[in-house]
Amino acid sequence: MLFGRKNIKPIVIPEKRVAHWSYATCAYCSTGCSIELGLDSSGKVITSRGNAKADVNRGKLCIKGLLEHELFDSKGRGSEPLIRQHHHEPFAPASWQQAMDKTATAIKTIQEKHGRDAFAVVSTGQLLTEEFYTLGKLVRGCIGTNNYDGNTTLCMASAVSGYKRSFGSDGAPGCYDDFDKTDCLMAFGSNLPEQHPVIYWRLKEAREKRPFPLIVVDPRVTMFAQMADIHLAVTPGTDCVLINAMMYVIFDENLADTAFIEQHTKGLSELTKIIEDYNPKLAQKVCGIDEDTIRSVARLYAKAATAMSIWTMGINQSTHGSDGVVNINNLNLITGNIGKPGGTSLSITGQCNAMGTREWSSCSGLPGYRALENPEHRQQVADFWGITPDFFPEKRGLTETDIFPAIETGEIKGLWLVATNPMTSMPNTSRIRKALEKLDFLVVQDSYSDVETNQYAHVYLPAAIWAEKEGCFTNTERRINLTRKSVPNYANSQSDFWIFTQMAKYFDHGSKIPFPPSPELAFDEMKALSKGSERLLDISGMSYDKIEQATGIQWPCREGETGQARLYTDGHFPTADGKANLIGVSFFDNNEKPDKRYPFWLNSGRVVEHFHTRTRTGKIGNCNKFSPIPYMEMNPDAAKKLGVKHQEYVRLISRRSDAVAMVQLTHRVAPDMVFVPFHFFDCVNRLTLGLLDPHSRQPAFKQCAVRIVPVDQQEAEQLSLKRRHF
Amino acid sequence: MSSKAEVSLTSPQKDKQKTEGLGVSVWEVRPGERDYAKLSDAPAKETNRYGKRIDLIDITHANTSPNRSMNINGKNRVGDNPNRNKQHGFFFNADNCIGCHACESACSEKNNNPAHLAFRSVGYVEGGSYPDYKRMNISMACNHCDDPVCLKGCPTGAYTKHAEYGAVLQDPETCFGCGYCTWVCPYNAPQLDPVKGQVSKCNMCVDRLEEGLKPACVSACLGNALDFGVIENTPQNREQAKTQIPGFPSPEITQPNIRFQQTKSLPDQMVRTDSSPIKYEKQNGSEFTSTVDEKTDKTRLWSLSKLSSRENPLVIFTLSTQAVIGAFLILLLGSYLEIDSFVSIKSSALYLPSLLALSVIQMTVLFLSTLHLGKPLRFYRGFNNLRYSPLSREAFAIAIFFGCLSSFTLLSFIELWLSHQWLSYLINASAGIAIVSGLIGVYFMHCIYRIEARPFWNHWQVLSSFFASLLSLGAGLFAIFAIPAILLAGDDISQIIKIAASLTLLGVIGEGLGLIFHARYLNQDSGEGAAAHYIQKTLFGKSYLARNALMVLACFLSILIIFTTNNSTQSLVLAGLLICTVFIYATVGRALFYVLVIPTTMPGAFFWKNKRFEQHARDIGLTDMPQCGVVANTH
Repeated sequence: MLFGRKNIKPIVIPEKRVAHWSYATCAYCSTGCSIELGLDSSGKVITSRGNAKADVNRGKLCIKGLLEHELFDSKGRGSEPLIRQHHHEPFAPASWQQAMDKTATAIKTIQEKHGRDAFAVVSTGQLLTEEFYTLGKLVRGCIGTNNYDGNTTLCMASAVSGYKRSFGSDGAPGCYDDFDKTDCLMAFGSNLPEQHPVIYWRLKEAREKRPFPLIVVDPRVTMFAQMADIHLAVTPGTDCVLINAMMYVIFDENLADTAFIEQHTKGLSELTKIIEDYNPKLAQKVCGIDEDTIRSVARLYAKAATAMSIWTMGINQSTHGSDGVVNINNLNLITGNIGKPGGTSLSITGQCNAMGTREWSSCSGLPGYRALENPEHRQQVADFWGITPDFFPEKRGLTETDIFPAIETGEIKGLWLVATNPMTSMPNTSRIRKALEKLDFLVVQDSYSDVETNQYAHVYLPAAIWAEKEGCFTNTERRINLTRKSVPNYANSQSDFWIFTQMAKYFDHGSKIPFPPSPELAFDEMKALSKGSERLLDISGMSYDKIEQATGIQWPCREGETGQARLYTDGHFPTADGKANLIGVSFFDNNEKPDKRYPFWLNSGRVVEHFHTRTRTGKIGNCNKFSPIPYMEMNPDAAKKLGVKHQEYVRLISRRSDAVAMVQLTHRVAPDMVFVPFHFFDCVNRLTLGLLDPHSRQPAFKQCAVRIVPVDQQEAEQLSLKRRHF
Repeated sequence: MSSKAEVSLTSPQKDKQKTEGLGVSVWEVRPGERDYAKLSDAPAKETNRYGKRIDLIDITHANTSPNRSMNINGKNRVGDNPNRNKQHGFFFNADNCIGCHACESACSEKNNNPAHLAFRSVGYVEGGSYPDYKRMNISMACNHCDDPVCLKGCPTGAYTKHAEYGAVLQDPETCFGCGYCTWVCPYNAPQLDPVKGQVSKCNMCVDRLEEGLKPACVSACLGNALDFGVIENTPQNREQAKTQIPGFPSPEITQPNIRFQQTKSLPDQMVRTDSSPIKYEKQNGSEFTSTVDEKTDKTRLWSLSKLSSRENPLVIFTLSTQAVIGAFLILLLGSYLEIDSFVSIKSSALYLPSLLALSVIQMTVLFLSTLHLGKPLRFYRGFNNLRYSPLSREAFAIAIFFGCLSSFTLLSFIELWLSHQWLSYLINASAGIAIVSGLIGVYFMHCIYRIEARPFWNHWQVLSSFFASLLSLGAGLFAIFAIPAILLAGDDISQIIKIAASLTLLGVIGEGLGLIFHARYLNQDSGEGAAAHYIQKTLFGKSYLARNALMVLACFLSILIIFTTNNSTQSLVLAGLLICTVFIYATVGRALFYVLVIPTTMPGAFFWKNKRFEQHARDIGLTDMPQCGVVANTH
């Protein structure tokens, strides 16, 4: 010891006496980080750590994952079922039996009176895959409504649609390992450091070992944009124009991979015909990126030995999200960058199990990437479940974003919401509020009873959360990973798996279709259903123990195999003729754009410390403290003109409604744009328009127009406070 | 030295034995732990850039063994890192930090910190114009300095700089929550928890270090920005190890053990998003210096309610103590010089009650100042660090002053009915020691504020102000007791009023001169000082001007009393007016002294570590939700 102290001072450092580490996969985003939960000798979760053996995160976790173990007994957890006659009455506690009886009766009554499709189910990307599969069985096989969707329509539908259109199937063809192989990476509307920090770290590691150019397309100077070699501050909603212009240059300068195009794609002539109109000279006026830069980026991308694209909501949440995905695929197909290590179209997914719901929930079809439109698939699933195929509709029903308008028009009378919070997450929430008000029956199944949508519920079912349950998630790179049950259910909550299984008993088909008693047995069922050499989504080579042993396995994983890092490596695509589709995309500008009355673009997005509608992260102090109230990024020059000051509240007004936020002045945003995080209740989504993509029905959250007006500071602060009462 | 050789000669085989053999592990290493989390034992340099030896065993107590246990959580574990006794430090690559909060949350998780506390925080500075815009995040914890000002400042001796890793560790169980370490640290490292009433801070994760792992924050970093190792060893793949980046205070203050890489070009001006009126301007080359950022306009305000702060007890304590010492000094010196009026005071029936009153005032404010502590019952620990801490010394000197003042008072009472030579010796001794310790106390009281990380205070004006208050307030307090005493004795009060007014005038002039030089220094010396002056002239602009005007008035009144009046009623009125004037300007001035100081701390973020947001959260009641990360002020 220095400075003269002779006696040793005791050193006390908080010690976590972990008796047992339990295996889990993070339940926030889709990165798929492997977590070990530390339990003390009494079985209480006291800490967690990244799993150093897992390939995905290699021991790293982001802020949310690091603190995720604190959520089990966080504020607002639902402790018992609640029921009431009308949404304006107070809830009364009920037994599970009463709550389930009431729900089943309501579903049947509505269906008898108004038809099977008058009751809709909207689920999530948060459940375990076995639960999705069971929910699909319940909804498609027992309840029999065709108006069944997941909230993944708000985040991933465009990627799914784009993949299906280009390659014939959903499923990201690439993986994180591509970062270590690629020679050029282009990111469209993706802010990895904020949204997927661990994926960013994988990319950073790769770039530190072997530098390669990084191009980031984003209208905002995000941290990712700042770390890029080239940042393209594109005009909102014009990514198609940029990509078309790049492809124009690639064809014009003979940089395309003609051999790949010829062997593995079709539709070239239609594509080139459309692209002819996108000379960078003209395109630059639309997308805001100058001709030289377009040419330089196109050359860089096409000349790289391998190049890959990643994208997130900047592409998906747009009126042409599906087209945007298709166009990214086009870019990669014409440069021969699909199915190669380092050459791929990698959609960075949103929720922890967005992939699981796409694969197994039967939302957009039938389990295991099967389509309702395909009679063979209907037959296979009906046989497997032991019912007749004519119980299934022959076409997919409404998506989440069409279900709410159908409530508005009176076609849908009842709704079951599973782990989703449309009162905060859907665009134009005043419309959603009105729709929910109108329902004859709403059942909300969530881990949190303070989830805002619960305001309109007739029945609330408290669900268990994360490691209170057991089952799998699939991550961005098709890796299935496991969460073991390590803690008892909170209070009187039940796993979603149990709820679905119990609910099935109320329906005729519930006794015909087998509902296995445990998630692992359901997983075995899925394995059997996935088997087939022609099937892309084959998980028959997996088991819980194998998954834990390998810290996650990527599908396809056929019996006796260990999983496949990439899809389409043989250049064969799951289309009718085995070739990928080149689909030309024409730009059509239908966005609500800034004008004199509403002079600002409104952009929304995520912050690293929060997840979705803050039901979880809003209660974990060491997450929430970094943004406890909603704020708005605004350009200081624009603010000066309006007399708007840093750290004061303003009112934003759109053609839908208004919202209050605290102003953060920063040159991160353009003078004609403001950015508001989407996590906060009664904030940005009161303003958003959410025009729907024609293919995916995903809303364009990120493009609409607002004006900004001063507001009485005291009134605003009280309003802001009141809207965040937990 | 022989023991050093022993360490370096340890064979790998022996190493293994050691890992298994010496003590129970203090941290469980993850199965399959990756290299990024492991300490690398690169050969260390002999000395750091300041010339300090990196091997700390060489400069510690002679009996220190390089292989002794740190006794973490009572375990006798000894780590087998050959660099164990070398100064370690963080490395921060500002080019890479993405501001993802992973370091902060890993730290808070490991240390069980509630939302309102953090041993490591990330703030940022930003600059440029869209889209040519750069944000530079800064992640900062404790820098385990060569010259730990926290250790030296802490009156309780809660801090230790260990030879092992050079870690500066603080023991919350010793701390009494005065928060002085949070004043002196330029990096915001010590964290005063208003809920628990004690300080805690970064412990360098010495438990992990002993198991060969880097600290939790470094291991959690997702931008590959944070690293850790023996100081002056530039990590692999890094090209720079400098001591300054914009937003980071001068390393000269404490010689912090942190090195930076910052190679990416930054805009000429980097601003802070928090409320601190500071920005950083590029000087010739790439170095940045802090300057004023006039965040609000130049409107002058009163902001009287904002003059009240959690340091109010200190305003009262310092002013009252100075006044009591001054009054006692005047009383004694006057008596010693046998000035007529003083003789009459001493013979007055009010003499002893006045002495008693002085003692009671001093006792009350001492009590008040201990209540200001997070853990008042631990007040006696305040003298633990006389060797380094000005706070300890001040507390000690003022305690002696109080002791002597009260014994002087007590003995004077005894003298009423007991007369003995020894008694008068004791009385004189008490008086003498009281005067000396009082003056020394005021000197050390000023030393408390001579903090390099607080440029607004770090000027001799503090000394001139404290002694000026001693004179002007002391004269006022003296007059309040003396005038009635003389009136009671039926003597003329004009002499005593003139003496008091003269002393007051001396005090006002001293204060004024100090302030003039202080203002000049503020405008020239540092960004933080100038920023404080900017706040003084805007947010408190009117209060500041009023204070200055009152000082001129006090001058005028004193001169009027000294040179013009002989009429006792008139002089009594003027004296009353003067005392009030002095009281008001001194109180406003001292309140300004505390609220204006802007430390050279790290830039905050928009919500986290932003003083204005913290205040806002308290004002509107966000603090009712603990997950907002701000707690209500308990003082």
